[in-house]
Amino acid sequence: MDKNTKLIQKTALPDALAALLPDYRVFAPAGENERLAFTRIDAQNAFALCLSGTPLMPPKELLFPRSETLYGTDIKTGDVSLPQTAGPTAVFGVRPCDAHGIANLDCAFLEKGYVDSAYAARREALTLIVLACAQIPYETCFCDSMGGGPAGSEGADVLLTETEDGSALVAAFLTGKGRAVKALWAAAGLLSDTGADATTKSANPAKAPPPCNLRISKDKGLAAKIAAAFDDPMWARFSEACLGCGTCSFVCPTCYCFDLDSENRGGTAEEFRCWDCCMFSDYSRMAGGHNPRPTKKERLRNRYLHKLAYFDERYGRTLCVGCGRCIGKCPAGLDIAAVIEWGGTL
Amino acid sequence: MTLTHGCGCAGNPLIPKSCTILKITEETPDVKTFRLRAADGTKPFAPMPGQLAMISLAGVGEAMFSVTAQGDDWIESSIKRVGELTEALHDAGEGDRLGVRGPYGNHFPASSLKGKNLLFVGGGIGIAPVRSLILYALERRADYGDIDVLYGSRSYADLVFKEDLFENWPGALGTHITVDAGESCWQGHVGFVPAYLEEMAFSPENRACILCGPPIMIKFCLAALEKMGFSKENIITTLEMRMKCGIGKCGRCNIGSKYVCLDGPVFTMAELDELPDEK
Ligand code: SF4
Ligand code: SF4
Ligand code: FES
Repeated sequence: MDKNTKLIQKTALPDALAALLPDYRVFAPAGENERLAFTRIDAQNAFALCLSGTPLMPPKELLFPRSETLYGTDIKTGDVSLPQTAGPTAVFGVRPCDAHGIANLDCAFLEKGYVDSAYAARREALTLIVLACAQIPYETCFCDSMGGGPAGSEGADVLLTETEDGSALVAAFLTGKGRAVKALWAAAGLLSDTGADATTKSANPAKAPPPCNLRISKDKGLAAKIAAAFDDPMWARFSEACLGCGTCSFVCPTCYCFDLDSENRGGTAEEFRCWDCCMFSDYSRMAGGHNPRPTKKERLRNRYLHKLAYFDERYGRTLCVGCGRCIGKCPAGLDIAAVIEWGGTL
Repeated sequence: MTLTHGCGCAGNPLIPKSCTILKITEETPDVKTFRLRAADGTKPFAPMPGQLAMISLAGVGEAMFSVTAQGDDWIESSIKRVGELTEALHDAGEGDRLGVRGPYGNHFPASSLKGKNLLFVGGGIGIAPVRSLILYALERRADYGDIDVLYGSRSYADLVFKEDLFENWPGALGTHITVDAGESCWQGHVGFVPAYLEEMAFSPENRACILCGPPIMIKFCLAALEKMGFSKENIITTLEMRMKCGIGKCGRCNIGSKYVCLDGPVFTMAELDELPDEK
């Protein structure tokens, strides 16, 4: 029997969150419907956990906050002060697509030369407890077309999968960080053996995940094909309805473009970084006024090509995990899945 | 490989070194050269010719500039007043503090250019990025063949680095200066850079051209150079792109899958042809 695969009852989940509290800042999905969000859990609200649906905002912001102070500069002396770093953090109920997204962010922030130390410190301290999708949350989910799947384990420290009868979760502790969680849950008496036995296949009680609602075919040669279509007239068509609102990248678990700026607070200049979006008109505009991507056609093309070709060229991964959020939330109905399919036909 | 930026600010590559303005030279009505030394008296970093520095003013912002010269304990950047940050920099005085991080980007292929004749062609502030290589080659004069600088601006007043152009460089290299329109104070050549370049008819034989300036000048100079027989592999330029992080993370400066802050700013024209047309 695999000693790193255990069973935990769903009714025990508030206790499971509580068992993490002494060692971690704990976040988990809580709130109703539209309000569902990764929420800081404390002894009082652990029962508010909600496991159906996926929060509109991915847990990306625990690693890469919407806005963060990088350092402060004393304007008189030029002395630099650094913000405190948060300690160990566990996030419970992350969907496989979002964990896959974090694996993509790791490439961007940690690889190819420079290490982004603010990200690296938070990443080091972050444990991802992933919950496989027993029901597919959105009409627009297509993670199983993008190299992941509703029970994908990429990026997961712990992977939780529902049992056939839905009463319990099979917990696979996949990494050292995951086994630290196992130790706490075991000490709290929350884990039992799965009863699975290598000799009797049928005894693995985890339910096979359902397929995604949106099935597309992603061509193996997509990156090269779509990059070669730089001058294709379709970019103008795709971008016609775009409002440049930035919702698509705001909700995306893999978008990571940021802005750096400085704000004067009393005698200290706070140097901060915040999310940015390549769909905004001033994104690449230079101080002299020249803009290499002057219209939404160039901006949308750059957004899609970054996700589907350039990132792949640099890191060997597609920068879209098929979470479907941008398709569901775009006010103009733009659809990256359709672009992926189109790219494959080129 | 982990790159460092020579700062040691808790290892965060986005945190600048505090530097002091040692000297400010007014080059033209809207270009000033800032000589910078780290507040602890050391050289901020030792860039290769063509590399970039991110210069910041606390509470205002930061922007990327090429390093135009360096000494034992200082680096210099020449900055044109074009926006809020550069305006504030122009208002700064000697002794003031600012932040510097870098060096960023690739650099001119100084070693593979050894033994070659060098032709520098610049317009306006476009002489700033190539000055570092001109100075580098002059310090190692025997390593390079003929060196020529063909440079032009709107007017005499707008010529950057007059001291170099008219005092330091003549004798050590060929200087060919032009201004767009004639004026009483100017005895030299009048006309646009591309036309002057064509007039000069440099032989492409064992010669590399380093070309920097406004896009329109680049376009016409490129045509002239190709007519003269230069191959695109032997024409080198630097790109400008809006930059924020300088370390290939923020996504700002990409052209296709290349980041100008990491893979640039120096490209040959042949390399630029390979990139999508979004410069
Ligand atoms: S959400 Fe839709 S309309 Fe808004 S910027 Fe993205 S593609 Fe354009
Ligand atoms: S691009 Fe859209 S579907 Fe793909 S990961 Fe981002 S939000 Fe999800
Ligand atoms: S300036 Fe941030 S990626 Fe180049």
